[in-house]
Amino acid sequence: MTFVNKNIFLLLVLITSNVFAQSTLQQQYEYANHLFNQEKYYDAVTELKRLQYFDEENKFSYQSNLLIGKSYKFGAKFDEAVKYLTLAEIYAKSEEEYFVAKTLNARTNILRRTTKRAERILNDLLNDPRFRSNEKEIKYWMGWKYIFSDDWEKAYEIFNENSLDTALASLCKLVDQEKYSVNFAKYSSYLIPGFGQFYTGEYINSALSLGWNILFGYLTINAFVEDRIFDAIIIGNFLWLRFYSGNIQNAEKYAVQKNLEISDKALEYLQYSFKGERP
Amino acid sequence: MLKLFFFITLLSSLIYSQQIDFNSPSNIKLFADYLFCDKDYFRAIDEYEKYLQIVEDDSVQFKIAIGYSAINDQSNAYKKFSSIKLTSSFYEQSKIEMLKSLYLQNIDSSYFLYADILTHSQSPISNNAYRLKNSSLLLIKNDLPEKENFLIPFENEEKKSLSNFYDLKNNPPYKSEVRAGILSAIIPGAGKIYTYDYGDGITAFILTGLFAYLAYTNFEHNHPTRAWIFTAIGAGFYAGNIYGSVASAQIFNARVNFEFNEGVKLFLEEKNYFVPTNDFCK
Repeated sequence: MTFVNKNIFLLLVLITSNVFAQSTLQQQYEYANHLFNQEKYYDAVTELKRLQYFDEENKFSYQSNLLIGKSYKFGAKFDEAVKYLTLAEIYAKSEEEYFVAKTLNARTNILRRTTKRAERILNDLLNDPRFRSNEKEIKYWMGWKYIFSDDWEKAYEIFNENSLDTALASLCKLVDQEKYSVNFAKYSSYLIPGFGQFYTGEYINSALSLGWNILFGYLTINAFVEDRIFDAIIIGNFLWLRFYSGNIQNAEKYAVQKNLEISDKALEYLQYSFKGERP
Repeated sequence: MLKLFFFITLLSSLIYSQQIDFNSPSNIKLFADYLFCDKDYFRAIDEYEKYLQIVEDDSVQFKIAIGYSAINDQSNAYKKFSSIKLTSSFYEQSKIEMLKSLYLQNIDSSYFLYADILTHSQSPISNNAYRLKNSSLLLIKNDLPEKENFLIPFENEEKKSLSNFYDLKNNPPYKSEVRAGILSAIIPGAGKIYTYDYGDGITAFILTGLFAYLAYTNFEHNHPTRAWIFTAIGAGFYAGNIYGSVASAQIFNARVNFEFNEGVKLFLEEKNYFVPTNDFCK
């Protein structure tokens, strides 16, 4: 009986020590995760790097690299974030882990404005048969990629497809409609100097452009009429042509500038007021 | 059977209960060294400071100072280097590092005072200090010493570069602002061509000439109103051309100074400010 009691006691001790001998690496990971949840990203990265240094068997490589990448992303250090998220992809042990790391990598590239790289990552995911069921989510981020590439029309098409996100689709359509046509502004100024500036709402500049062109046009033609051919060529070439080409450049410049203002306003709304998921 | 079961359970508890003391001094230092070699100096400094609270170690103090210097916090680097004790093996090097920190903060009288002290100290780093001090003279407005004296502390391969800098400092290739203005007054645009601003020079010449011609020809053909308009515009371009030529000479001279200073700074950076290097990451 005593022998049985002793063995049962020993067994209980061993089971307890086995169950509760939680790896200190696990504890370290949980501590780092706790710091991350408290938004103490600098400290979280320090503790995660400490975990990585002592984790000789790379048991926590995926989780630590992912969390470091997220911490850097929240701290707007996108270059470092991409580096660690790429490492997380490499150390991913399952398809789900790989997908999470890869989409985060794409989102970070969108924020970093390296949209070509984001597109490549998202296309890789779209073409990967393992992630067919995640197509909606991938297309959602593709839409955001087009927003950051300033291609609001394509972004609208993506968000409108199968009503992926109606709020974003409406916003993209609105922005696309508000934007000025740079080509129209430029080519209309070829026909009527100052019209491009008028089209973009720069009325004073439009009036000045038109005025200068009329003045030097008149002086050139007048010189030709009075048979002062050399004068006409000089005024036409150095004055009228200068103001005419300047008018076209101005029209294009104002259209581009106004379009930037419209895009920036939309991006500001997305940053501060949009309630949906953002990169 | 029961004994085998106990053995397996004991073995598994030993395998799975990985006990690492992250806060032991040795582990803190190991991690700090890893961060230092990874160039994550902010974190390395934090870890080294934690280590120093437990263990006194002059090499760690020195690394903290190097870390501050690497992240360009020269004020803290200087403080840390100055706290290295006389008995430390890093003492001599910390002196020249302090001089480097002072140089990177500001080349002023306190920098030169300390440089003189080190130069005359007859320590292993006195020649390093002498070289840094003489190189710094190129970056201030004061007169340089005689060329022979200036080049004394330098090695042969360095003498050639410093000799060029010395000559440039004494005879910089400036352009005269007065000459540029006068040239443009005589021939519009000539002052700008004198300062190698060819595009602007030709444009100024053409525009001023054009408006002068238009004014003349309109007066000749009895269009006084237009003629006076072109005269006014032409006069404006002529005055602007003179002003622009003077400004062009000033910009040219500023660029000469800027390129010279950047050249000297780059030379010093490549030489690591004549400070011996320690590779702690071998």
